[in-house]
Amino acid sequence: MDSLLNPYYLQIVMFVMINAMLGISIYLTLATGQLSLGNAGFMSVGAYTSALLTLKVGVPIFLAVPAGGIAACLLAAVIGVPTTRMQGLYLAIATLGFGEVVRVVALNLKVTNGALGLSGIPSMSVMTGKGLSELGLGSGVGILSAQQLSNIIVIVVLALMLACLVFFALRLSKSRMGRAFAAIKADEQAAEVSGINTTYYKLVAFFMGAFVAGLAGALAAHITFYIGPQDFSYHKAVEILLFAVLGGSNVVWGPLLGSFILTLLPEVLRPVAEFREMIYGAILVIMMTFRPEGLLKEGTIRFLWAKFNWRAKAEDDNSQPEPEGGR
Amino acid sequence: MFVMKNVAKKVMAGLVAAAFMAVAAGCGGSQQSGGTQAGSTAKIGVVTILSGGGAAYGEAIKQGLELARDEINSKGKTKIELVIEDSKGEKNEAINAANKLIHKDNVVGIIGPTLSGDMFAIGPIANQSGVPIMGTSTTAEGITEIGEYVFRNALPESLAIPQAVKKAQQKLGLKKVAIMYSNNNDWAVSSFKTFEQAVKNNGIEVLTIETFADKDTDFSAQLTKIATLKPDAIMVSGLYQEAGLILKKAREMGITVPFVGNNGFNSPQLVKIAGASAEGAIVASPWFPSKDDEKVKKFVTAYKAKYGKEPDQFAAQAYDALYIMADALEKSGSTTDRAKLKNSLKIVKDFQGVTGKFAFDEKRNPAMEVTVLVVKEGNFVELK
Repeated sequence: MDSLLNPYYLQIVMFVMINAMLGISIYLTLATGQLSLGNAGFMSVGAYTSALLTLKVGVPIFLAVPAGGIAACLLAAVIGVPTTRMQGLYLAIATLGFGEVVRVVALNLKVTNGALGLSGIPSMSVMTGKGLSELGLGSGVGILSAQQLSNIIVIVVLALMLACLVFFALRLSKSRMGRAFAAIKADEQAAEVSGINTTYYKLVAFFMGAFVAGLAGALAAHITFYIGPQDFSYHKAVEILLFAVLGGSNVVWGPLLGSFILTLLPEVLRPVAEFREMIYGAILVIMMTFRPEGLLKEGTIRFLWAKFNWRAKAEDDNSQPEPEGGR
Repeated sequence: MFVMKNVAKKVMAGLVAAAFMAVAAGCGGSQQSGGTQAGSTAKIGVVTILSGGGAAYGEAIKQGLELARDEINSKGKTKIELVIEDSKGEKNEAINAANKLIHKDNVVGIIGPTLSGDMFAIGPIANQSGVPIMGTSTTAEGITEIGEYVFRNALPESLAIPQAVKKAQQKLGLKKVAIMYSNNNDWAVSSFKTFEQAVKNNGIEVLTIETFADKDTDFSAQLTKIATLKPDAIMVSGLYQEAGLILKKAREMGITVPFVGNNGFNSPQLVKIAGASAEGAIVASPWFPSKDDEKVKKFVTAYKAKYGKEPDQFAAQAYDALYIMADALEKSGSTTDRAKLKNSLKIVKDFQGVTGKFAFDEKRNPAMEVTVLVVKEGNFVELK
C-alpha cells in the first residue's frame, strides 16, 4: 500500500493524466479528420498564460488554469479561420509551423524570460500541502504523509477533470455534432453536399482541441515548477500525435490508451538503462507493423463490449458456481 | 469478421502478456535496490543525460563520477553506490528520475542534473523532500536560490566571465567588441547577460549583438556583419560545437581578432573542431588539464587509462563533486541522514580537488579560483 502511494508513482500518475488530456485534445480535432500538429503550441500558450498570471499578477491557480485554456482557444480563433480551410498535410504543416512560431515568440519575449523560461511557478501539490497544514493536517493523516496526501488530492482533481473531458468526448460522439464530425471525417464533400456546414464544425473541433490542450498545458505548468520554450518543441507535437496513432484515433479510448502506454513505457523501461530508447523504438515499430490503424478501433471496442456483456449474462443466467471454478 | 476477431484477441493477449512482463521486470528491479543494506554504503543518486542531444556531456559526467566512486571505494571508510538515471535532457523525464531516486531508491543525496533548466524543475522537488542536490554543470543564475538543499560546484558564469573579460582587456587592450550568443539555450543566454554586464563594467563599447541557435552550422551572415564593424575582439556565448564552427568560419573569412568565450569554449573538443582556428581563443575556467598539480596529473592519467581520452571540465567537476559529497558524508557520520549531509555540505571548506581549492559560500555556490586560459598550439595554457 505504502509503496503504491510512493510520490514517485503519484508523480507518474499526474503525468499520465496530463498526457491523457492531450490525447483527448488531439482526438477532438482528428474526429473531423483534421490532422493538426498545433497542440504543443496551444499547450505552451496555456502553460505560459497560467504561469504568468499566477507569478506576475497573483491570480489563484484555479482561475489561472481555465484562463490558460481560454487563451489557447482565443489564439485558435485567430489562426483557425485561415488554417481550417486547408486539408491533410497542408494543415499539418501549417499547424506545425504555428507551434514553432509560438515557441520562437516565447524564446524572444521579455515577459516569458526567453530561453531561461519561467521558474518557481506555484505548484498545485505544494499549495495543497500549505492548505492542509493550515487545517492542522501538516503531519499527515494516518499512514499518509502530508506530501502524499496533497499529491493524492491533486490527482483526484486531475482525475475529475479528465473524467469530465472523457464523458464530454463520449457524449459528443453520440450527439448531432459528433455525427457531423464523423461525416466530415468520412467524406468532407459528401458531408457538405448533404447540408453540413463543414467550416463551422471543423472550426468548433479545432477550438475544442485547442482549449483542452491549453488546459493540459496550464495544469502541466502547475505540477512541474518550471516551463521553458524547449518543453513545447515539435518533439512534443509529435509525441501527442503518437498517442492517437498508437492508440487509434477513431474512438476516445484510443488516444487515452496511447497516452497511458507512452507515458508509462519510459518509466517501466528504466531498469534497462541504455537500451531504453532502443526498446521504446522497437515497440513502436512492432505495434505499427501489426496494428497500423492503432490499438483500439470501433470494432475492438464493440468486440470487448460484447464479450464483457456475454460474460455478465452468463453469470446472471446460472447463479450456480461455474464448473471450471471461475478465473 | 471471425478472422478479425481472432487477430484482435491474439493482439490483446500479447499486450496483456507484455504488460505483465514489464510489471514483473519493474518489480524485480525495485526488489534488488530495496534489498541492499543501508549500513555503511551511501547511496547517491545521479540525474544526467545519457541519450539525446546532450548525451556527450552526460557521458563525461557519468565517467567522472564512476572514476571517483571506484577510487573512494578502494580506499575504504565510506563506501558509495551510484544510482544513475537518464534525464534525456527533458524536463518531465528529469522529474521522474529525481522522484524515483528520492522516493524509491531512498538516496541520501543527488548529483545532477546536467541542464540548468532541469534543475529549476527538480531542485524544488529535492528541496521539498529534504534531499541535498548538487549540480556539477548548472551554471545559470538563480539555481541555489531554489532552497537550502540545493548546492552546486559548477562555477557560475557570473564569476568566470568577468575575470576573462578583465584579463583579456588588460592583455589585449580591448576598446570595442562584438558579442554573439545562442538564443535558444537558457544557459548561453544567461552567460550572454553576464558578458554584456562585464563588458560595460570594463568600459568597453559593444558594436553589435548577434544571435544564433544551438545546432546551427552556418554563421556567415552574423560574421559578415561583425567583420564590417571591425571589433577588437568577439565574445561568444554558446556550446563548443557551435563555438568551434564559428571560430573556423571567422578565420576563413579573414577575421583575425581574438575570441573570448564562455564555459562552452572550455573543452578539448573545441580545438578538435576548430583546429588551427582555435588559436588565441580565451576562456576562464577552474579546470585546467595541464595544470602543474599532483592531483590533476593523477586524475588525468587515471581517466585516460580508463576511458582512453582526456577528461573535460564536465568530467572534472563531476569527479570533484563526488569527492566533496563523500567527504561531507564522512564528516556527518551517517550514510543515510539527508539533513545531516546538507549541514555538513554547507561547511565544506578548503577542499582540495582537481578544479582547485574549493568551498561553498553562504549561498551554497562555489567559491573557487579561476584561471584565464588561452589556446596556444592546440593546447590550453594560462594567459599571462
